[in-house]
Amino acid sequence: MNKEQFLSQLKRSLSGIPEQEKKEILYDYEEHFRSGLENGQEEEEIARSLGNPRVLGKSYRIESLLDKERGGNRASNIIRAVLASLSLGFLNVIITVPLFSGLFAGLVSLWAGAVSLALSGVAVIAGLILQPLFPASIGLGGVSIPFLIFAGIGTGALGLLSVIGMWKLSQLFFRMTAKYVQFNVRIIKKQEVKS
Amino acid sequence: MNVQFKKGVLELCVLVVLCRRDYYGYELVHTISENIDIAEGTIYPLLRRLTKEGYFTTYLRESEEGPSRKYYQITEKGQTYKEQLLSEWNHFVSSVHNLIREEESA
Repeated sequence: MNKEQFLSQLKRSLSGIPEQEKKEILYDYEEHFRSGLENGQEEEEIARSLGNPRVLGKSYRIESLLDKERGGNRASNIIRAVLASLSLGFLNVIITVPLFSGLFAGLVSLWAGAVSLALSGVAVIAGLILQPLFPASIGLGGVSIPFLIFAGIGTGALGLLSVIGMWKLSQLFFRMTAKYVQFNVRIIKKQEVKS
Repeated sequence: MNVQFKKGVLELCVLVVLCRRDYYGYELVHTISENIDIAEGTIYPLLRRLTKEGYFTTYLRESEEGPSRKYYQITEKGQTYKEQLLSEWNHFVSSVHNLIREEESA
């Protein structure tokens, strides 16, 4: 078999492979023949060592089919990822968003409570200190001063504790939110990685 | 030797040879077929697949004789893959050796 025969057999057995790819494949063998001839080999000898062109063509065809298969999977994987994010989106809209808004509103009102508790403690103490200076505007309401001092300190301390508690609670809340977002991202990514 | 087995080993051989320097097709095929008895044409589909998978890149360079040649160059990804295949190969060979030695001494 000479170069011409080898290449034409190979070309025929590459049917079904895109034209551009076919050209590239044939180029490799043309160059191989050219280099062999430069090295003093005969066309027949080169063709013989290359092997059966039909067998070679088949391995290119198989590879091309596998390529298509992979390509197809990639497309269906994208669809799967979209479906996954859509169903996640549904879950988020129906359950997570209302739950999140509710919890967030609760958190904000608890913060308001804690801060006002702390502030009222401070206000009682401040009132006691300022009372001798502004007797006309600040009345003690007939309650004894030691009781007011204790009540002020107690309320202030309770408020401070609440603020600290709220700080921890908020941290927990935001950590959980971050985890949930990560979980969403992971599910969507997992669908993409399967390709 | 079994054809499929040879093909797997061939992949490692191509990677190992291209780790040394860049080769053009004919030269690479010759280097390998000097050592391993295989239909030389089967190396081109392999080169094409490994290039598609990003283990090699190719470039054209003029030869002294005139027409340009397609050179294959290993990528970083290809080197990592070679290391992986090589360690699998070494593990496999030493396992087979152990087995043979055990059988002989038994």
